[in-house]
Amino acid sequence: MRKHQINLTVNSQVYQLEVGTGQGRVNPSDTLSFTLRETLGLTGTKLSCDGGACGGCTVLMDGEAVLSCMLLTIECDGKIITTIEGLKDAKTGELDPLQQSFIDHTAFQCGYCTPGMIMSAKALLNENPAPTEAEVKKALSGNFCRCISHYQVVRAVMDATGKGR
Amino acid sequence: MRTFDHIDVYSIAEACTTLREYQGRARLNAGGSDLLTVLKGDFLADYPEAVINLKTISGMDYIREDGEYLRIGTLTRLTDLVSSPLLKEKYPVLSEAAYTVATPQIRNVATLGGNLCQDTRCWYYRYPRSIGGPVQCLRKGSGPCLAIKGDNRYHAIMGGKKCFAVCPSDMAVALAALDGKVIIVGPEGERRVEVTDFYHPTGNELAKDEVVREIEIPIKRTPTQQSFRKFTLRKPIDFAIVSSATVITVAQGICTDARIVLGAVAPAPVRAKAAEELLIGKPITEETDTAAAEKALVGAKPLSKNEYKIQIAKTLVKQAILGVTD
Amino acid sequence: MADNYRYIGKVVPRSDGRDIVTGGTLFLNDLPFRNLLYGKVLRSPHPHAVIKSIDTKKAEQLKGVRAIITYENVPDWKFGNPPIVHLLDRKVRYVGAAVAIVAAETESICQQALRLIEVEYEVLPAVFDEYEAMQPGAPQLYDQLTGNLLPLMAVNLGPTSATEIVTGDVEAGFAEADAVAEGSFGYDNIPNPIPMEPPGAVVHWEEPNRVTVWVSHQKVWLNKRILTIIFGEEVKVRVIVGPCGGSFGSKTMSWQVQCYAAALSKATGQPVKLCYSKEEQLACFVLRPATRINGKVGMKKDGTVTAVAGSWILGTGYYSMTMQTQLAVGCGEAMIAIRSKNWNLKPAIVCTNRNSSGIVRGFGGQELKCALIPLLSLAMEKLNLDPFEVLKKNFIKPGDGYYWRDAQWYNYRGIDYSPAMDQGAKVFGWKDKWKGWLKPTAVKGTKSIGVGVGIHGNADVGEDVGEAYVRIDNDGRIVIIQGLAEHGTGQRNNTLKVAAEVLQVPIENVSITPGDSLITPVEWGPAGSRGTYGILGAVIAAAEDAKKKLFELAAPMLGANNPEELDTADSVIWLKSNPQKSVTWKEVLHLRSVLGHGRFDADYTLANCMMSFVEVQVDTETGKLDVLRVVNTTDAGQIIDPQGLEGQLNGCLGSAGIDSAVFEETILDPSSGRILNANLIDYKWRTTAELPEIENVVMETPMGTHRFKAIGVGEISTSPGPSAVLMAASNAIGQWLHEYPVTPERVLKALGKTTGENRGGAR
Ligand SMILES: Cc1cc2nc3c(=O)[nH]c(=O)nc-3n(C[C@H](O)[C@H](O)[C@H](O)COP(=O)(O)OP(=O)(O)OC[C@H]3O[C@@H](n4cnc5c(N)ncnc54)[C@H](O)[C@@H]3O)c2cc1C
Ligand code: SF4
Ligand code: FES
Ligand code: FES
Repeated sequence: MRKHQINLTVNSQVYQLEVGTGQGRVNPSDTLSFTLRETLGLTGTKLSCDGGACGGCTVLMDGEAVLSCMLLTIECDGKIITTIEGLKDAKTGELDPLQQSFIDHTAFQCGYCTPGMIMSAKALLNENPAPTEAEVKKALSGNFCRCISHYQVVRAVMDATGKGR
Repeated sequence: MRTFDHIDVYSIAEACTTLREYQGRARLNAGGSDLLTVLKGDFLADYPEAVINLKTISGMDYIREDGEYLRIGTLTRLTDLVSSPLLKEKYPVLSEAAYTVATPQIRNVATLGGNLCQDTRCWYYRYPRSIGGPVQCLRKGSGPCLAIKGDNRYHAIMGGKKCFAVCPSDMAVALAALDGKVIIVGPEGERRVEVTDFYHPTGNELAKDEVVREIEIPIKRTPTQQSFRKFTLRKPIDFAIVSSATVITVAQGICTDARIVLGAVAPAPVRAKAAEELLIGKPITEETDTAAAEKALVGAKPLSKNEYKIQIAKTLVKQAILGVTD
Repeated sequence: MADNYRYIGKVVPRSDGRDIVTGGTLFLNDLPFRNLLYGKVLRSPHPHAVIKSIDTKKAEQLKGVRAIITYENVPDWKFGNPPIVHLLDRKVRYVGAAVAIVAAETESICQQALRLIEVEYEVLPAVFDEYEAMQPGAPQLYDQLTGNLLPLMAVNLGPTSATEIVTGDVEAGFAEADAVAEGSFGYDNIPNPIPMEPPGAVVHWEEPNRVTVWVSHQKVWLNKRILTIIFGEEVKVRVIVGPCGGSFGSKTMSWQVQCYAAALSKATGQPVKLCYSKEEQLACFVLRPATRINGKVGMKKDGTVTAVAGSWILGTGYYSMTMQTQLAVGCGEAMIAIRSKNWNLKPAIVCTNRNSSGIVRGFGGQELKCALIPLLSLAMEKLNLDPFEVLKKNFIKPGDGYYWRDAQWYNYRGIDYSPAMDQGAKVFGWKDKWKGWLKPTAVKGTKSIGVGVGIHGNADVGEDVGEAYVRIDNDGRIVIIQGLAEHGTGQRNNTLKVAAEVLQVPIENVSITPGDSLITPVEWGPAGSRGTYGILGAVIAAAEDAKKKLFELAAPMLGANNPEELDTADSVIWLKSNPQKSVTWKEVLHLRSVLGHGRFDADYTLANCMMSFVEVQVDTETGKLDVLRVVNTTDAGQIIDPQGLEGQLNGCLGSAGIDSAVFEETILDPSSGRILNANLIDYKWRTTAELPEIENVVMETPMGTHRFKAIGVGEISTSPGPSAVLMAASNAIGQWLHEYPVTPERVLKALGKTTGENRGGAR
């Protein structure tokens, strides 16, 4: 069966998107990262390798960390997506404890990998609010960072554990 | 990525008919973690007209023991193989192998069927269009194998015939050590193929309109010692340079049954039968172990840059068997 | 020391932190534009060929295609040193060379169009090895060059530049030596710095000659200068640089990306965005230089180096933008690390048919040192000398001097770094772990542990020029006007810190303009660790100037004769002699603002230093190497930003640093020259799951720089490590390893565990 329309929930907002070509529509070959960035304007999700190998485009799908560059949007019908833009409190603007901890530890240099790092860490804390350092390192092992922010990232995540919402 | 028709299917049978309708110009998509890299790289002559989504088929992700067999549905995610209590307890070689695949994010979407059916990693074959590719080679149907005279550090050390690419699937190696069979559905019905026979020198067993439905593994009645080892330059992400899966039964200090399988050394997982025979009926000692490891690599013929894989393979086999005693 | 300061040396959250963690940072590819077109590049499948014909008709007819440019209709833009590289050329010189560029309404239309362009090539023989390229009869890349050799003068460095190190009498030096070692040593695995954000630009060319460029870049003014040279002085170039997702030097070489977009924008009249894919970044952007020395060193029993002689071949790939400068800096850095009186090191820069090498953190010196230290090690082994002691003894000391990149002699006025080195050695436990040459520190079963040490220092900490303005507004807020992009070092935040410190205001009151050449003055940009001394130096001077001007206005109001009699904090100015007597900034700045100007002029008399100790484990059965521990030691004079500094030093692993000895390499197909591992699976990078322990020892001995006595060290953190890893691995397995990276294949070969027979395959 061919889909003509899909429903996506992104950061608690429901989007109904037509399948097809042209602005605002979803082409069957559009990846989720493309839809988020180009169609919905959510550029917080970063693209680096566009090939599944860097984790820069990590988002949460039904609470789990997935690579948005490796998913066809058309196959995400009915899914609940959280992007980096969806972590802070929409009303108060208050940051997620993980985000605050990244700031406190300067857990970034250029910051290009940071949204992906935070989303991978968020997925971990959703599942395991009190991980060990080894578990944090494993959970983040699919996230490339060329500046080597890893050490400060691991510290930031450990510091945020237990404080996650 | 260039565009394509997109079709959701709701049963394996529908997947087969849709494949047939497109006469080889459609590709199945499970987790997509391999297929999308193939489409983005745009290195094959036949870009698909349609992509068929298998994820809309319900009930294809399961891990259950049923009569004589452990059955795993083709859409079972690697994440679920890693965390399955049943596998951890009785088939740890499977959960260990699944854990070594790719990264956490990929394991959350990657499926067992997709893992078995993924395309080769040969870097000549995959050389992308965007930087001056694609490249023709024997596997693509024209010209010689470029790896023979090229950089073949990751290529086959045995069993290569014309194409020297290795089977990239980690799951295939573990499944072969459990005598796993791939259940394939096609227009003429179902057939079962040993995992080791599933791979051909330049592709796999699937006809253009066939779909993998399930993996079937004979249930282990007696306790076995299982291990999966994977040699890579880095722990996450990397494909195996060499891997080994061993399933060994030991009774009163004597090895009574053994499966020793090597991965990433040949176009298919390789059962080291001579090594298995050598072990059976003997106690596992440093000596039998070393002899078995040597046996496992008899007949290996390295290319110009991959002789080191022989030494690594021997070491993995040795460590895996010795691990049984500690 | 730090305790007297309000911000310097203190942890202050990065002002861009909130944007970074919420996804609000707008990197190049995130910027919104109206009427934007997209650009893509068609790339050559051949390493060396002439285009016989190129047919774009089919592609032009595709709906949505707006412009196609080939060598036939490209503007006559050239660059490089010498400027012999055309933006598009009839001849292609590496696999991946640009053949045509397309602008279209969407990226996917671009891609479709590329497939419709038909090109016929006359394939030429190609050369990939630098030595072969220098032989008579080798394929020639350019008519203008002979023997594929490039001129050695770095024209951008002024009237003179260092093109060799020839001083003293090497024969006398060798005669004096207790041991002489010689051989061929390379660092030629051409790793890639791969900043996470690929290079890219948006260019809007408004006829006739107004060009606005948004680019992922670390330099504003310099980039404008480069583009102006390329486009011609009549073209008004405006460069706008926002946050940059990493560069490590490489993006300084993005002239081609920008010029493709510029040419397409000129052709269409609309803004055009052109961003490289990761594959293009890995195969068609910037690699480390390939280095090989055929050298000879003499050493005395006490570790004195008596002579260094030999040839230094720098492989630059298909062209050079700054290889001559890297050569010049590399030579100076060799002199800083090796206090030999006698030198005869003769470099050559060679072109081959592969992607270009260029600017990468470590800039020439890392490359040369990674080859020189293994050579020195052979001499140390002969004399049974401890490499830590030898490297310490030979690193520059007060009273020494060196020829720097401009070929001028500079007397060193910096500190003796020995105490920092000693402290590092202590923290690492060097004395206990060092067991002698080719001796493991420990052996546990099949795992052998070895240690190594490396060193690097550069006198570019005060390189080039820069200016800044500091404006104090009537509301008491402060604006720093400086052309500076944030590319990971936290330097924009540090400008706020130093200005807030000088003017004693809450840091929240200070901001810095975006890097925009229309607004911001001359500023060379981050390079060579010059940020701390040079960039901050200009801001400090500007803040001091602004303060002076403020005091000049305040003095009459407070009845002071001289601004010197005043002091300020928290926007209040008082008489030092009578603090009760005060005015607020608001009162002073009624309906006006003051503008201070600061300038930094180059100073090559100081050098930074970094020593790295590494402990590695090698599995002698599989050949696998793991880095267990790294201790970096340095003296930063005064730490400005502790967390930022830690980040820079931890960066020793990535961006083609330590890991270029572990698993990073660019793999060329031996017969076609294709880069086979142009993706992030086959190009190996460090993951969180396998982090060695890192300790950073940072001493704070006041340096003769600016009022905060700090010196930069960020750029060099990648440089001492690779040779240290090679040394450590050799010690672990008891055999010399001289090739980077230390792959299982190389280890097993050194251990005699492979036979070297080639049996299969070519049947
Ligand atoms: C960064 C990265 C690292 C990786 N590392 C590893 C690794 O270490 N080890 C490893 O084994 N793999 C690795 N992979 C490859 C791949 O992601 C995994 O093998 C994964 O399990 C593939 O599953 P999938 O469901 O995503 O496959 P898909 O991409 O959906 O499918 C792969 C192929 O199988 C076909 N297919 C899928 N399901 C069926 C079916 N039921 N019947 C017939 N054909 C089918 C598809 O048509 C396609 O050709 C890696 C991939 C990436 C991007
Ligand atoms: S190994 Fe196979 S896929 Fe690779 S170049 Fe040779 S024939 Fe092609
Ligand atoms: S951009 Fe998706 S994994 Fe790299
Ligand atoms: S902070 Fe630059 S890539 Fe991670």
